[in-house]
This record gives sequence, structure tokens and C-alpha cells, in this order.
Amino acid sequence: MTLQLLISGISLGSVYALIAVGFAIVFSILRFSNFAHGGMISACAFIGYFFQASFETPPPFYVTVLFTAVCGVVMALFIDTIAYRRIRKKQAPTLYYFLASITIAILIEQILSVFFGKNLYGYPQIFESTTFYIGSIRFSSIDTLILVVSLVILTVLLFVINKTRIGLAIRAVAIDPATSRLMGINSDVVIITVFAIAGALAGISGVLLGTKYSVYPSLGASMMIKGFIASVIGGLGSLSGAIPAAILLGVVEIFLTYWLGSLATPIVLFGIMLVFLAIRPEGISGKFAKDKV
Amino acid sequence: MSNYQLSLIMLACISVITVCGVFSMTSLAGMFSLGQAAYMSISAYLTFCLAKYLALPIWLTSVIGIFASGFVALIISLPTLKLRRDYFALLSVAFGQMVSSIVILLGDYTNASIGFSKIPKVEGLVYIILGITVLIVFMVRNLKYSRFGRMCIALKTDEIAARSFGIDVYRLKVKIYVIASMIAAVGGICYGLRNRVISPDAFDWSLSAEMQILLFFGGTNSLTGSVISAAGLKVLPEFLKGVKLFGFDLQSFRTVIYCLLIIVVINFRTKGIMGESELNFAALKRIAKRRSSACSKGGKKK
Repeated sequence: MTLQLLISGISLGSVYALIAVGFAIVFSILRFSNFAHGGMISACAFIGYFFQASFETPPPFYVTVLFTAVCGVVMALFIDTIAYRRIRKKQAPTLYYFLASITIAILIEQILSVFFGKNLYGYPQIFESTTFYIGSIRFSSIDTLILVVSLVILTVLLFVINKTRIGLAIRAVAIDPATSRLMGINSDVVIITVFAIAGALAGISGVLLGTKYSVYPSLGASMMIKGFIASVIGGLGSLSGAIPAAILLGVVEIFLTYWLGSLATPIVLFGIMLVFLAIRPEGISGKFAKDKV
Repeated sequence: MSNYQLSLIMLACISVITVCGVFSMTSLAGMFSLGQAAYMSISAYLTFCLAKYLALPIWLTSVIGIFASGFVALIISLPTLKLRRDYFALLSVAFGQMVSSIVILLGDYTNASIGFSKIPKVEGLVYIILGITVLIVFMVRNLKYSRFGRMCIALKTDEIAARSFGIDVYRLKVKIYVIASMIAAVGGICYGLRNRVISPDAFDWSLSAEMQILLFFGGTNSLTGSVISAAGLKVLPEFLKGVKLFGFDLQSFRTVIYCLLIIVVINFRTKGIMGESELNFAALKRIAKRRSSACSKGGKKK
């Protein structure tokens, strides 16, 4: 039983990791918490659902994932254009980014709930059977699929960030935007790339969450809170901290839910987070995101 | 006046009260919280549950509710306000979720998500709420122009500089957060008295976000602007009732409409409609004087 819980905890944690990374990568560049990420997750979950439902025979799962990832990128760039670009040009304080992202989050959620708020939508079954056995241990097919997909995506992302030129540019802008601009890095391109990556991550996590739970307008917002917690524990704006923190969070949440039930879990989680922050405010990664003067 | 108009007035007043609470925190001290609705929830549930189960008079339990909210705010703020502002905003979202989980967990007393509806009816409620609103706006105005408010503004503009002037930044933040939460608590009780039913869903993070949005729409540093936008934007959608455009009922699109409005404002007038200026008699006089002098100058040119 413990092993099963552990597996499903890691699987849940890996989705949280996708969310937390999408959130942290925007934070690391622009220093604001992108609340719109939750809205994008819900929207992408719906897009994925209608994409799958529009075919007689459902397309392979990876087609849906790719399609929603592309939609996520488009949406993220659109949101950047309508909400953030002018603020950025004015070099306004981060408070306004905050406000813009909250407005976008509510906007998306409201649009979805006006059109689709009345019922829950469930993705069609992907697997013949919902569980399979290795030895005597029972695994949930969907959990395993989610785990595999998230791990692949996270590996690709870490590769892009750590090994490619654009990844180097992203890291440089995250450390010091002014100096990196002097070194010839086009910070606009970096910012757009970051939004595109975040959008793709939102798309993928939207589909994965949609297959795990049913799809409803506030799906993204409720999952977003977990992403926040993970990135706070991991150290805001740190990708390397967010992933282990998210997986840890997933495991802890599954175990707490098993022992205490799903109602008491958020309360205990919040308590744990408060204690953690009181002891180690810089997060797991130990890199403290400093205010830029 | 009809009951409907009275309830609209109360709606506007409650919106003004809650936005005033957020104003004292965000506009004065630059702290951004998405958990203010949780304090409304705490005080409303505490007030009405105590009134129901212990049969205490409502004014007494209101006081208990307000101070309990302040106490919770104190406990929450002690560890979290030491952190950067971003952590604080994120934690406040999680805090809101925790409070609604507690409410559901105590379902035996609070009737869980169905909503707690055993709220006593108060006669002449509209006058009481109007009075409270005026009092709170006046208090927040005084706060803004007091020494305390100036300290807060210094903190907002530059925390390090404020510290170097000998302001105890941490204590100041805790104080203003507790004040803001207690004002939110008053708003929560008024909300309960008006609606006669409270449910955990009503106090989720989108309500807190709405307060912030209303505040910024009116003007980041302008109390009068925020008050006007809080009352106006809250009541305006009621006039959309029954209006149809392209076969869509505009009432259901009200939040969508005002989100779009706000995005336009953020893009083209980032500091909000009123910016930092206050609307008062002196400002009106100044505008009138400028206009008349502009007219006379124009006359000379001719």
C-alpha cells in the first residue's frame, strides 16, 4: 500500500512540477507571480477535451498533448501581447503585472464558466483497463502515463535551459537583465520565449490534469495553488528547487489524504508550509530571489 | 425606496468597506494579498455561529469576530511578513484555501458548502451599513494623512530607505496587515447581514482578487478613486440585467466585461482612472481655477 501511495504521490507531484516550473520560469525572468497560468491550464484542458471529442476515433494521446501545447503557446503569446507588453514598455512596478495576471486569470475562468460551467467534462478513456500489475503491486495506468509524460517534458526543458544558447540567455536575463542586455542578449526575445515555454507547459499540464480529474473551469486555479506552494517551498523563481519541492508536495499530499482525508489536507499542508518558511525562508534551492534595486 | 434599491446600496457599501481595507494595505504599504476574503469568512462565520449557538447578541459576537480576525491576521503575519512580498501574496492564496477547508471541515456547525443561513434579521440595516461605511472611509482617510500613513508610504516607495530612516518596517507591516484584516472582517459581517446566507465558496480567492482589481481600477493611490470605482463597478452590472446583445445575456458576462475594461485601463492608464490624485474640494477648486485661467489666456491670444 505504501509503495502504491508513493507512486501515485510521485505522479501527482510530477504534474505539480510541470505547473510549478511553468510558473517559476516566468517568475525568474519578470519577477512577478503569473496567476494567469492557472487560467491557461483550465483553458488548455478544455481545448484538449474538445480536440479529442471532435474525432470519431480519438487520436493518439501524444497528438492531443502536442496540439494543446501549441495552443498553449499561442494563448500565452496572445496574453503577453494584450496584458503585459505595454506594462513592460512603461517599466511599471511589478504590482501591475500582478494585477494584470489576476485579471486575465479571472477573465479566462469566467469565459469558461459562462460557456461550459454547467457540467463536468470527462476525457474519454485512454486505456482499456485503469490499472495494471507489476508483480503484486497495482499501478494506476493514468498515473503512470502522467508520470512518464511529465518526466520526459521536464527532462527536455532542463536540457533546453541548461545546454542551449537560448537557455543560457534565459539564465543570464534571470540573473541580471541590464547586464545581459549590454552583452547583446535580446531580452524581448527571451521574454517571449519564456512565455512560450510557460504556455506549452500549461497546455501539457492541462491535458494531464484533465485526464486525471474531470475538466471544469476552476481546475487550473485550484491546481495553481499547489504550484505556488511547490515553488515557494522550492525557492521562488528557481527551477531546480521547484521540481523536487513539487514531487515532495505530491507525495506528502497523497499520504496526508490517505491518513486524514481530503478536507484536512490543505490545512495541514499550509501549516507545514508556514513552519518550513519560518525555518528556511530561502526554500530548498537556497537561492533567495532578491529584489532588484 | 424599494427593497431592491436598498440592497443595491448595501452592495455598494460592502464593496466600499472591503476595498478600503485593501486600500490601507496595498495602496499605503504596498503589500499585495489575495487572502482578504478569508478574513471576511472568519469573522462572518464566527459572528453568526456564536450568535446562533451561544445565543449572544449580535453586536457582541461581531466584536468578537472582528478581533478574532485581527488575531488570526497577527498569527499569520508574524512568520510570513519577514519574507519578500511575492511570497506573501502567494501564501495568502493558500491561506484562503485553508480557511474554506476549515469551514467545510466544521460542517456540523457551519453547514459546509450548502451555506449557513441562520442569520438574524436586523432592522434598518441599510442605515447601519451606511454609517459603518462612512466611518471606515473616514478612518482610512485619516490613516492616509497621519504620521502612520506617511510611514507606510515611505515603506511602499522604498523599504530599505524607510528602514534607514528608523522606521521599524516589520512591525509597521504587521500593524497595517492586522488593520486591513479587521476592516475586511467588518465587511464580512455586513456581507452576511445583507445576504442572510454565507457559504465558503462566496469567500474564495476570486473575491479577494476582485477587491484588488476594484482598488486599482479607481487609482492606485487615490482613496476617493477607489471608493468610487468600488461602488460604481459593483453596482453597474445590475443595470445590465435583461440586456441582450447578439443573443447573449449581458448579465452573465458582467465579470468578463469588467475584466476587459480593467485590461484596457491597465494598458492605457496604468495607474488607474484617478492615478494618485484625490477628489476633494481643494482639487475641484484648483481644476476650476485652471480652467478659468486657461480660458482667459485663450482670450488674450485672440
